Order: sequence, then C-alpha cells, then structure tokens
Amino acid sequence: MRYALRRTGFFLLTLWAALTLNFLLPRLMPGNPALAMLSKFHGELSPKAINALDILFGVNTRQSLLSQYGSYLHQVVTGNFGTSLAYYPASVSSEIGGAIWWTLGLVGITTILAFILGTGLGIVSAWRRGGRLDSLMPPVFVIASAVPYFLVGMVLLLIFGITLHWFPQGFGFYVSTDKPGLNLTFFQDVVNHAFLPGMSLLITTIGTWILTMRNTMITTLAEDYVRMARAKGLPGRRIMLDYAARNAVLPNLTGFAMSLGFVVSGAILIEDVFNYPGIGHMLLYAVQGEDYPLMQGLFLLITVAVLVAILIADLLTAFLDPRTRAAR
Amino acid sequence: MRRLTTIGVFIGAGLLAAGCSAGSGSGSQGSGSGGGKSTSSSVLTISNENGATWTCAFSPFNGSDTLVSVGFVYEPLVYVNPLQNGATTPMLATAWNWAPDDKSLTFTIRDGVKFNDGTPMTAADVVFTFNMLKKYSALDLNGIWSVLTGVSQTGSNQVTMTFGAPAVPYFYYLADQTPIVPEHIWSKVSNPVNFTNPNPVGTGPYAVNPCTKDNITYTANKYYWQQGEPHIKKVEYPAFLTNDAANQELANGQAQWGAQYIPSIQSYYSAKSPDYHYWFPPTVNVSIVPNLTDPQLSNVKVREAMSYAIDRGQVSNIGETGYEPAANQTGIVTPTFNSWLDNSALASWGNAYDPAKATTMLQSAGYHKGPDGIMVNSAGKKLSFTVINIGGYSDWVASMQVIQQELKAVGIQVTPSNLTNTAFDQALYYGHYQLAYYDQQTFGPGPYYELTNWLYSPNTAPVGKQAATNYERYSNSHPAGLIRSYAATTDSAQQHSIVSQLEQVMLSQVPIIPVVEGVDWYQYDTGSFTGWPTSSDPYAQPPAWAYPDNEQVLLHLQPK
Repeated sequence: MRYALRRTGFFLLTLWAALTLNFLLPRLMPGNPALAMLSKFHGELSPKAINALDILFGVNTRQSLLSQYGSYLHQVVTGNFGTSLAYYPASVSSEIGGAIWWTLGLVGITTILAFILGTGLGIVSAWRRGGRLDSLMPPVFVIASAVPYFLVGMVLLLIFGITLHWFPQGFGFYVSTDKPGLNLTFFQDVVNHAFLPGMSLLITTIGTWILTMRNTMITTLAEDYVRMARAKGLPGRRIMLDYAARNAVLPNLTGFAMSLGFVVSGAILIEDVFNYPGIGHMLLYAVQGEDYPLMQGLFLLITVAVLVAILIADLLTAFLDPRTRAAR
Repeated sequence: MRRLTTIGVFIGAGLLAAGCSAGSGSGSQGSGSGGGKSTSSSVLTISNENGATWTCAFSPFNGSDTLVSVGFVYEPLVYVNPLQNGATTPMLATAWNWAPDDKSLTFTIRDGVKFNDGTPMTAADVVFTFNMLKKYSALDLNGIWSVLTGVSQTGSNQVTMTFGAPAVPYFYYLADQTPIVPEHIWSKVSNPVNFTNPNPVGTGPYAVNPCTKDNITYTANKYYWQQGEPHIKKVEYPAFLTNDAANQELANGQAQWGAQYIPSIQSYYSAKSPDYHYWFPPTVNVSIVPNLTDPQLSNVKVREAMSYAIDRGQVSNIGETGYEPAANQTGIVTPTFNSWLDNSALASWGNAYDPAKATTMLQSAGYHKGPDGIMVNSAGKKLSFTVINIGGYSDWVASMQVIQQELKAVGIQVTPSNLTNTAFDQALYYGHYQLAYYDQQTFGPGPYYELTNWLYSPNTAPVGKQAATNYERYSNSHPAGLIRSYAATTDSAQQHSIVSQLEQVMLSQVPIIPVVEGVDWYQYDTGSFTGWPTSSDPYAQPPAWAYPDNEQVLLHLQPK
C-alpha cells in the first residue's frame, strides 16, 4: 500500500512538471499564430489580413505569461481547451475527438497485435531453441525493427497500393463513396484502408517483443523450478506456459503498458505517408500552425496517457511480482 | 536470401487474410484511392493539399475557410480577372460606375438572384455584408474599411460606396474579393467572427451536401441564377494531408483539377495520359529583398551590382527546374503583365547577366577584392551578408545555392540561413535581416498591386516595428506620390504611364532584386471535362484555391 501511494505521489509530481513544460515549450517558438496562418495561405491572403488575424486571435491583446499559465491550469482541470487556431473556429476537444478514434483504432490495435504475436512467437522460439523458427525469426526481425517504419510504409504503398492496386493508397476510408456509420460495409472499408499502415507498424515493432520475450524466456528456462517441473514429468506445454512464460512475460508486460500509453500520440510519419486522419498528423499541423491551444490539448493527452500507463505498469508489476514489493 | 523469403511469406499470409475480408466488402475494392473512383464521369474531384482535415466551417470571412466557401457557395459583385489586366465579368452587380472625383462608386445589383435557400438576394444584403465587415474588423481580411467611409443603398437596387480619398484600385477588393452573404441569416448570428456556418447559404453555383472531416461534397444549387449552370452537378474536395497523396490522386486520374507542386511533372504526371496537362501562369516576383537600413546595402551601387551578377536563367533552370521563369528588374511579371512592360527602359538598363559590369560597379563604389576574393572597402568592411530563406521550400533553397555561387564570382559573399515559415516572416516583418529571398504575398489585376507593396513608403515601419508591406524599408516620396495618383484615375493610358515611372524607380533605385517569377501550380485532365483555363484562354486564375476565380472555372467546365 505504501508503495502504491509513493508511486501515485511521484506520478502527480511528474504530471505537474510535464504540464508546465507543455505550457512553456510552444511559447518559446518564434512567431505567433497570426503569422503562421498568413504563411499557411502564402499568396492567398493579403498582408492586410494580418491586422484582421491579430484581432481574431487576440495576439495583440497579449496577457501576461503568468495569467496565461493560470488560465491554462484551469483549462487542464476543467478539460476545456478552448478554440483551435489552426482549425479556427472549431474547438480543440472536437478536433481531437474526431481524430483520436482513427489513431486508437490503427495504432492501438497494431500495438496489441504486435504484443500478442511477438510474445507468442518469442515463447515458442525460446522453447524450441535452435529450431527452425528460432534460427529464422530473431535475425529477420532484428533487421525489420531497424528499418524506419515510414520506409516500410512507403515500400508497401508502392508495391501493394500503387503498382498492384490491392489496397487503397490513402485516407481512412473511401471518402467520397462511403459514409461513416455502424455497418459492415464501412467497417470493411476501414479495415481495408488500415491494412497497409497497420502492417508497416506491425512489421517494425514486432521484433522487439519477440527478442525480449525469447531472451527472458531462455533465462527462465534455466531456473531450478523449471528443471523441477521437468523432473516431475509435467507436460511440456504446461511447463512452457505456466512455469516459464508466466514469469518471463513480466518485462514485456511493462513495456506493453508503456507502449499503450504512447498509442495516443499516433504514428506521425505513417499517418503522413497514408494520408491517415489521425492524431499524429494533427500534432504536426498544430506545431506548424503555432496552434497553442491544440498543441496543449494534444501534449496533455499524450503526457497523461503515458504517465497513467507507467503508473499502471508499476502497480501491475508490484502485484504480479512480489519481489518488487519486498525490496521496499 | 532465406530472410527475405520469410518476410515475403509473412506479408503474403497477411495479405491473403486481408484480401478475404476486403474482397467480400465494398465494391470499390481495387479502384485505388481514398477519393474513390468517380462512379459517374460528371463528378469533378479537386486535388489540392490542405495539410489538415476539413473543419466543415464555411465562413467566407475566415482565412481558413474562404477557399472552400467563396466561389462555390458565395459570389462577389463582379469577377475581376487578374490574368487579363482586370477584365471584368458582371456577377451579382450588373453595372457600376465611379463618380468623377473617384471618391464614390455605385453598383447596380442584379435582379432575380436567389440564395440557395430560395430567398431573393437584394441590395440590402450587399449593404449588410459591407457594414458587417465594418462592425467586425476581424472579418475585414482586405482592410477595405481603411479606405471606405460608408456603404448605403440608393434607390431600389443600387449600392453606393464612399471613400475618404480616390480609391480606384480598391475596386478589386470591393467588387471581386468581398463575397455577399444573406442578411436574413447573418443578422441573427450573435458573433459572426467565430460563426462556423456549417450550412452555408449563398448565391453561388453550389451548395455543401454534405461535409465530413475527410471530404466536402458540393452539389448544384437549384436556385442558381445562370440558366443551365453549373454543368457539373457534383464536385468532390477531399482533404489531402500531404503533397504526395494529392499528387498520387492526380497521377492515377482520381482527381481532375490539381493545384499541386509535382516534382518531375513530365514523367510523374503528363506522360501518364495524353489528357493530362499543366500550365503554370506567372503571378509574382520572387526577389532578393535587401534591408535598406543596412549601411552597405543602402548603397544603390551594391544592389545594382547584385542585380547584374545574378544569372536569372540559371536560377530558373537549376533552382526551379525551369518551372518558374526568369524575372526582370522592372518588377513587371511577364508574360502575364506584358502590356505594362516598358521595353525601352529595360533595354537601356541592359537587363542581362553581366558580372563584368557588376565588378566595375563595385569598384566605382570604392570596393576592391580582398585576399579571400571577397570585395572589401577602404574602411575594411566586407561585402558579406546573411540571406534568410524559407527552409521548407526546397526550390528556394536550391535557387539560393545558385545565387550564392554567382554572387561569390563578383566578390559578394552571402550565407543562407534557412528558417521556418513563421520565423522567416517574423524577421522580415520586423526588419531583423540583411537579405531575404521572398515573394510578394499580394497578387492583383495588374502590376500596380505588387509594386505598391514594395514601393509605398507610408506602409513601411522602422526596424523593430512590424511593417505592413515594404519590408525592405524603402523610403521615397516620389513613388509614393505616383501610387497615390494611380488611385485617382480610371484612365488606362494614365495608369500605364504611372506604372512606367514606377518601373524607372525599380531600375534606378533597385529597392528589390527580382530573380524568378513565382507561378500558380495547376494541372487539368481533359479526359472527362472540357473548358479549362489555358495559356491561350486565361479566363481565370486557374488553381482551385484561387477565389472567386474557381467559380469561373466551375462555370466554364463541361462534362465530356
């Protein structure tokens, strides 16, 4: 219990520090939202528009940094992030709300799949050490995880999208012929569009899960209690899953909880390559447009998600592995 | 080898699995992209990178929504063609005339025009629109109320605008750049500044039906006042987040109207079909902008030498792969504004690449070559400058490398500093730079608009204060007087004579150094539609983002 409290306290302190950084960093960037808007419409808006934009965004009626910080903290607590500047006059929450589902769907499902498949393959290749699977998998995926995921994405897009026409070349669904809704056609359309970007992420992330799982599994297999189980004549399957894998999965589980936290930050480059309407691209756009409210909303979301995930991972490890508790 | 095979098997297995689910699904499988294959050939799809998903807000006075609302849903009083020296097409106004003192302008409003909700459009709506911009200056994107003094209805169908000073060039902003909105909708909006206007009601040829974050569908307005128009009943405008995705849609024929920069456009685009064409009309100069408050750059001989030392053809060929043609020192964009170009003045100035002349000029200004090959004056000051550039524009970065070498050959050292868009603008507007590589933001129906922004002294500001235009901090009452007298004449011959004198200022004072001419990117597919604007028929500025020119294009297009 004391451990849990300490962890939670630490969590709150980190959260505050992260929130303050979120507030300060965007404001250290040169320029202001009105200038960014003008650059975005390079050639379309006259310089006279800067006057109108200044009034619109309240750039010239500047508040002091301290009072901005005050209203920022108030926004954080109330969950109201105001109006986006790059997507003016839409509200930050509605913009994030529109994009987050695409990211959760694409990156979230890919992360879960990568973890399950990777851990499974890691268990099996460690169990059949030196076998065919074991001599193929680790080298292949070490290489695959060293390749940047957007490069894999571009190659897949070129082969299966542009050349073979097996899969669509971008967007989250057929934007002009299909309308979003809870029906099978739309669902299949979405899966079809998510396949290539999802595959690029899967191919490049699965290697880490396989390797860590395989390595801890091999160490665990050398433990006395595994030998004991063998001596008792337990079936191989039971030793593999209940005796070895159950203990070996702990580091992977922590890693998994953390990567779930990072899911909300999206996959900027993949979303870019596949014109996918998720959070990652929105973040990039917010930074380019000096959209402080949207940046704050997004960074806060990401920070909180990661911190919560770490907290859960900590507590989960403590629950699963008594040694971490005893050490305190 | 074994490793490669395994990846292949792995991917293959995945593809099979996905293929099963997709094959049984939507019938559009295999057609290629998100824009979707047009089921009917009369659907026009626009490809123009937006960088973000749509907000589905359609306020014609909000900088981010104008390009999806004006021209489609909203119309101006008069269409003014910037590519044909301001040739006019009456739209919501049938006639207009300036008072003899050029301080008041009267429009006659067209009868029988209806908004897309069926209510008639009247002179009252026009008056309401202009007065709303006065009340909410955040909506006044062109600053028209800096010259207007009043807008009122005269008679049953006339609107009279009055000005504090002669304002002839403002006709473009008043008649062409101000869309008319319905009073019965906007008068009920409590704050028009942040009004999202999700269901826009206007007089234009299209209505929004529907808009999603990923795609805007426009369908024909059944109340449209031009009989039989628009011929294209449906227009799709997908939200492209990146240039690559937008280019891909054009290359595979999913989109027919492009406003895209496409690298190696011949092999990537036009070679794919005989129906694929492009045209890049020049609109503005991309110039080296010297900061005239710099002690060395304030010397006109140094600036003149720089102008002679740059081989503009070389910059165009290498830096811009030939897409953007070479500019000239008069500041007149050719061939767009050819009729304004004072050829004899340009010839006597000798608009040629002449490094020998540049060297002589620098020597006569008291510079000699130092040991490192860089020109230095008797006080030991080197001709060495930092030039700010926008790092995100790869063509500008490449152009600057060419310019850098050419200037080095005559002993002028420039060091590029590649900045982000906003950091660049900040430095330029506040005068914190030595040299900048930049194109003029405003494009209007004649060279007056660009030259005014560079040469009108009252618009500049001291270093450290934000200048509205005239970022080089050029101060001279002679061109300022010329610019004011242009505003007071509707006579074309007189306007031409004033612009010639402004060209003389450009040649003798070299306030900025035009290098290449910025162009509009524009691609069009004649396979399914005819009537596109072309170099031989430039009836409108062609990119889809140019408003209200986009309306002219949409009205000219016909399904094949």
